[in-house]
Amino acid sequence: MPLSQQELGELKRTAAKIRRDIVDVTGWSGGAHVGGSLSMVDMLVLLYWKYLRVDPARPDWEDRDRFVLSKGHGGVGHAVVLANRGYFPMEDLKTFNETGSKLGMHLDGAKAKGVDASTGSMGHGLCQALGMALGARVLKKDTRVFCIIGDGESNEGSIWEAAMAAAHYKTPNLVAFLDRNHYMIDGYTEDVMSLEPLADKWRAFGWETRVVDGHDLAALAEAVEFAIAWDQGPVMLLCETVKGKGVDFMEAKAKWHYGGLSAEMVAKAKQSIGEG
Amino acid sequence: MAGVESSTSWTVYDATKLSAREIYGVVLSDLGAARPDIVGLSADLAKSTQIGAFGERFPDRFFNFGIAEQNMFGAAAGLAKMGLTPFVSTFSAFASMRACEFLRTDVCYQNLNVKVIATHGGTSFGSAGTTHHATEDLSIVRAFANLTVIVPADGFETAQAVKKCLDIAGPVYIRIGRGFEPTVYDREDESFQIGKAVEMRPGTDITIIACGPTVFHAVEASRVLAENDGLSVRVLNMHTIKPIDEEAVLRAVAETRRILTVEDHNVVGGLGTAVADVIAASGKGCAFTKVGIPDTFTPHGYPEDLMNLFGTDTDGIIAKVRELLGREFEEDEDWEDEV
Amino acid sequence: MATSEELLTARIVCRAVLPVIKVMIEDAPKTAAAFQDTVGRVQFVADDPAGRVGACLCFDRGTFTVAQEIVPDADVTFAFSSVAKMNAFFAGKPVVPALGPLMKGAFGRFGLVVNTVKLMLGLKLLMPTASPKDPVKARLKVKMTLYMISTALSQLNKAGDAEMNKWTAKQPDRIYQWSVDGTDIACHLRVKAGKTKAGRGVYTRRKPFIHMRFAGVEGAIPVLNNEVDSLQAMARGLVVSEGSPEYGAKVGDFMLRIAGLLT
Repeated sequence: MPLSQQELGELKRTAAKIRRDIVDVTGWSGGAHVGGSLSMVDMLVLLYWKYLRVDPARPDWEDRDRFVLSKGHGGVGHAVVLANRGYFPMEDLKTFNETGSKLGMHLDGAKAKGVDASTGSMGHGLCQALGMALGARVLKKDTRVFCIIGDGESNEGSIWEAAMAAAHYKTPNLVAFLDRNHYMIDGYTEDVMSLEPLADKWRAFGWETRVVDGHDLAALAEAVEFAIAWDQGPVMLLCETVKGKGVDFMEAKAKWHYGGLSAEMVAKAKQSIGEG
Repeated sequence: MAGVESSTSWTVYDATKLSAREIYGVVLSDLGAARPDIVGLSADLAKSTQIGAFGERFPDRFFNFGIAEQNMFGAAAGLAKMGLTPFVSTFSAFASMRACEFLRTDVCYQNLNVKVIATHGGTSFGSAGTTHHATEDLSIVRAFANLTVIVPADGFETAQAVKKCLDIAGPVYIRIGRGFEPTVYDREDESFQIGKAVEMRPGTDITIIACGPTVFHAVEASRVLAENDGLSVRVLNMHTIKPIDEEAVLRAVAETRRILTVEDHNVVGGLGTAVADVIAASGKGCAFTKVGIPDTFTPHGYPEDLMNLFGTDTDGIIAKVRELLGREFEEDEDWEDEV
Repeated sequence: MATSEELLTARIVCRAVLPVIKVMIEDAPKTAAAFQDTVGRVQFVADDPAGRVGACLCFDRGTFTVAQEIVPDADVTFAFSSVAKMNAFFAGKPVVPALGPLMKGAFGRFGLVVNTVKLMLGLKLLMPTASPKDPVKARLKVKMTLYMISTALSQLNKAGDAEMNKWTAKQPDRIYQWSVDGTDIACHLRVKAGKTKAGRGVYTRRKPFIHMRFAGVEGAIPVLNNEVDSLQAMARGLVVSEGSPEYGAKVGDFMLRIAGLLT
């Protein structure tokens, strides 16, 4: 059991805080990709508060672990995590989406500290993550690269190109999370473009694949530790998640892929999330 | 009789063995020895694009991504982010179109130190036909901010471009042919500077601005026109399309008042358009003509024949200049074999 | 009745092979000396129902030309009963004495006959079996062979050979250049819209479209003798072919065809 009770409690509270902040930003920015950000909070919290070997004070530290948000529209979630972790002031979140600000829908690594890859268009991040993993190999460093991809995003051929190449090059320092929240813009993924059997596909592509509850921090932690220890090749943690997790009126609804929140809805949402 | 048949058993993919003039593969390989940060990437075309030479010498720094160009360019971005200097090579058609978004969004938008060696530009992959011809690539990549676009005139200039693109802290797209193109230079010209056009021949009647394989033809045409027609034809090797050498263009406008551009590329959006931008912005009057592929798709054929078809070779340029300057010419009619 | 291939071969013999005798006379000091005072004409003629075929070697005190005609009053005549036999003679094939050439006028110009026979023996340098060790002979062989081939290719076209005509028909003005590194041996073939012209030396009015450069006389001989195929030749650095590989290969094919006709 990698997490002590105390750690677990702290992480849960952090996750709740992150969720509440995401709802806040969605509120004051006029709208954000709230559903898909809420579904990946637990993965992000585990990475940024336990497993990523990073230093917010030194965002360009050469030997840091890398994190790529391939489903780049989750920028609001990533930004909230980075701010809470100390990469930039929480105040900056107030400028989310404003013209010319450092933070917007799809984070720009040239503007926001702590963003290892500027993503947005689907299917790019995993390729870059692979490049980083191979780069670490060339430089003989033990840098780890973590990447979160989306299930809708997995329609993109380039995801599978990267998957094939990672297996070919047996990159043990690459760990991918698939935020399997089952909904994309046009609806339920299996109605739009079916992905199942998804875990089988990743296994067939040569990735050591584990299916895990993406909201069970303890289970996730075990999965991540397994992934880090696995040295035979890349690992895919297929995380079963709920789009809009934490906010009862958003959960499992395609329409909350992107949305705006009135002050009243913000309050309701935060109440639903609770303290963790 | 020795009994050996004529052997045309080389394949269109064996550029490495036969194209003596395409030396960049060796150059890159030598650079790789001095620069441990250089890594090579290929999309199943290591032999055809010469990057295989680097790969053989430094297998730990060479990655073949198979026929998956999008991932290759994304990975190149990732490698660059780790502080390495990736040289990515594939055919121009695939570099500019198949991997277009990855080149633009992962490499150029993030302003990464990725060097693209786009081979088989224009119609140089002749027999492979339209699907493998890169007749729009310059038009496409010119539009990417942060990208430097170079079209070297021959193998020697390519070697220089490869060496000197390392001085640019950002993405570079170097577009070359298939390796059998005639050389314009007889050795590397160390005075080569990215962004600075080279005056290959001085002149005052008209200026031909060319890039890539057409430079050789422009120089030949200029020579023939001087000897036969008494014309003074300036030739500018505009190897860098972006940033284009505006000063050289403006000088040609002022001093010759007639400009003819030639490229192994569509007349839409490439060298010709880039030159036209400069001329139009200058507000100066100038006779201007573009020679290139006239906004059509190109048929299959030997590349030399295709260049002849589209008038981008020596004869085509000569004819165009004569047409522009209203000149007639008497052909040499003695076809008796010398003894 | 001579076949069209036999007539083609004869044409190449008369217009491409015989003229390279000039190289021997100009470049080989002993041969030059032997002919420096010679005045005379040696006729080679083959009988054929469709009309006699032949050419006449004209020596005039050191200068040498080949007249593409049959003169009635040659000093010496080598007569063959058929075009095929004349071709065979020049292919170095043994000719049965009884049916061999009838040398008319031989007795009055014995010296001329002897010298002409020496020239004929010299022409054996053109054979693929000839690999002379003597550097003077080796150089002669290469120069003679290249001059012969360039003219033969042009003659092939002028003779109306279908394959050659098809190849030259659509080409724009192009120069096919041969040269031997480290020597002044060079010749070329100009092709333009169905017309051809063989030339000596390096063509200067435009750069070559194909340039076959041999690595010296030593590199040229194995290639010209077809001891190695073109890929091996290039791999071993015996010859470099600059320019379009497709057109270079085609020229190589035609060169082999010429060799085939003459052996």
